[in-house]
Amino acid sequence: MTTDAGPGDLESSLKPLWSRAQAGDEVAYRTCLSLLAARLRAYLGRRLSSHPDEVEDLVQETLLALHLQRGTHDPSLTVSAWVVAIARHKLVDHWRRTGRRGGRHESLDDVDEGLLAVDDEDRGASRDLEKLLRVLPDAQRRAIVLTKLDGLSVAEAASRTGASESAIKVQVHRGLRRLAALVRGEHAS
Amino acid sequence: MRTDRLIELLAHDAGPAPRALAARRLSAVALVGLPVSTVLALAAIGAIPAPMFATHVPWMKLAYGAALACAAAWLTARLSRPAAPAGSAWRATATVVAAMAAVGAASFASEPPGARVAALLGHSWLGCPASVLALSLPGLAVALWAVRGLAPTRPALAGFAAGLFAGAVGACGYALACVETSPAFVAAWYTLGMLATGALGAALGPRVLRW
Repeated sequence: MTTDAGPGDLESSLKPLWSRAQAGDEVAYRTCLSLLAARLRAYLGRRLSSHPDEVEDLVQETLLALHLQRGTHDPSLTVSAWVVAIARHKLVDHWRRTGRRGGRHESLDDVDEGLLAVDDEDRGASRDLEKLLRVLPDAQRRAIVLTKLDGLSVAEAASRTGASESAIKVQVHRGLRRLAALVRGEHAS
Repeated sequence: MRTDRLIELLAHDAGPAPRALAARRLSAVALVGLPVSTVLALAAIGAIPAPMFATHVPWMKLAYGAALACAAAWLTARLSRPAAPAGSAWRATATVVAAMAAVGAASFASEPPGARVAALLGHSWLGCPASVLALSLPGLAVALWAVRGLAPTRPALAGFAAGLFAGAVGACGYALACVETSPAFVAAWYTLGMLATGALGAALGPRVLRW
């Protein structure tokens, strides 16, 4: 884990990339998510230091939320503030679901609020999203597997399944939303 | 699944982010809530006499409802975006309520002392807030659905804003069936009905607006 550039520097490198990603640039979007994953891992790792096994799960959950909620980012907001607000929300939600309050080692301190540090080491998630995918309704699962895991374009997936392109997109979005709900429900059950 | 694989999955053919998401979802509150509350008000209570439309009475109520609906919709949209400052939207909402309160107070003061209480209470002060709340429930359901699809990080506040928005839309429907004429009445009892809808939204928010 290294502490490098401050939040201002992160924002100045992230903002143009994020704008391109929001406009539909897939490469820029992938780069943004990778960059943010390393920051989130460090951010969440500091707050879950007594439960290191849960960090990667929460990183993935936050990335899924960022993706599903990317329509709520307003260009007038700083990207990092928006990301931190979502990560914080997911962390508080995680504590509530697991019946824990932020303890001595897990505090939502206001001082160290930014995505300052980078942690590139994926220690592996304990939950397997691929297994959860199998629980999704057929149409949603097929749309996600074809377009996301098999790497077909939306147009190719549409012609293969006979559904329209917009129907495929809707099924992918609904499936990912469902996946996020399943991830949240896991703790409760 | 490893995180880089998840990133690959999310980014692949992701397309552009949805545009004007909050505006699209929240406009459904007015598109559904307004006709539903109007039809319910006309069916359950009956329309005000046509000549009344030549007076300021229904227009004052509709203007108040519409102005508060706009301010509360803006507030709801701000509270549905993570990290978005909502100060200006709160001030706009408070300004609309304060402006109606000022008009109501002026009207109250201009009445002869013996007629003031009668003007304030009208004949339906008890039923008005309850009617506004009841007529706003369909809109409230749509508003909570709309906010649920966004990302409220303070669910009670977002629920309150959504409820206030739905309440203002419901009040517009009620205005077409309400024959009360005093601005003081509107400032007091319409506001109470809309705030009650907001309070219901605030109570439901933490349960309903999880994501």
